Amino acid sequence: MTVWLEVALAAAGVNVLLLLALGSVWLRGYRQHGAKHTLGLLVFAGFLLVENLLWLYFYLLHPAFIEWFEATTTEVQVGMTMLCGLELVALLFLVRITWR
Amino acid sequence: MEGVLWYVLASSRGGPSRVRIVRALDERPRNANQLATELDLDYTTVRHHLDVLLENNVVGRSGDEYAAVYTFTDATRTNWDTVEEILATVEDD
Repeated sequence: MTVWLEVALAAAGVNVLLLLALGSVWLRGYRQHGAKHTLGLLVFAGFLLVENLLWLYFYLLHPAFIEWFEATTTEVQVGMTMLCGLELVALLFLVRITWR
Repeated sequence: MEGVLWYVLASSRGGPSRVRIVRALDERPRNANQLATELDLDYTTVRHHLDVLLENNVVGRSGDEYAAVYTFTDATRTNWDTVEEILATVEDD
């Protein structure tokens, strides 16, 4: 397993956890007051959650995808890793303002 | 500003408490201590929420840190329609 695959896998995993945390705040809020703004954020979290679960599936359980990832060039590996890695950075900012 | 108001008051963890603070400040300007007593909240909790409201330019304060009275900023007053919509939507906790 290349180190980039491990980093991408970890980032997707942490993204799932952060999205569950954000989603729980927004779901609680939406249940309490039903504001459209909160619902929008909840839908956003829902789709990003599906996206990251799909990544987890590919990185963890899809032999053909893993084989391709390991065989491809480093720049493609880094690029793929940045998809989940940069999303992680973005979500951390969102968690920081949502949790206050 | 509208998005900020919705985020800070409706879509973040401390939203319901900050709605209570905004309601109390709408009655009349108060300092942190008066808000804590009025809302039966911990003083540090009130200060935390006031800091969030300050950082997001929802309220401003006059005078020194401890006796400071908090009032709404011009940005908030300009968007008072949105504030009223949020207050009507978000119940106290």
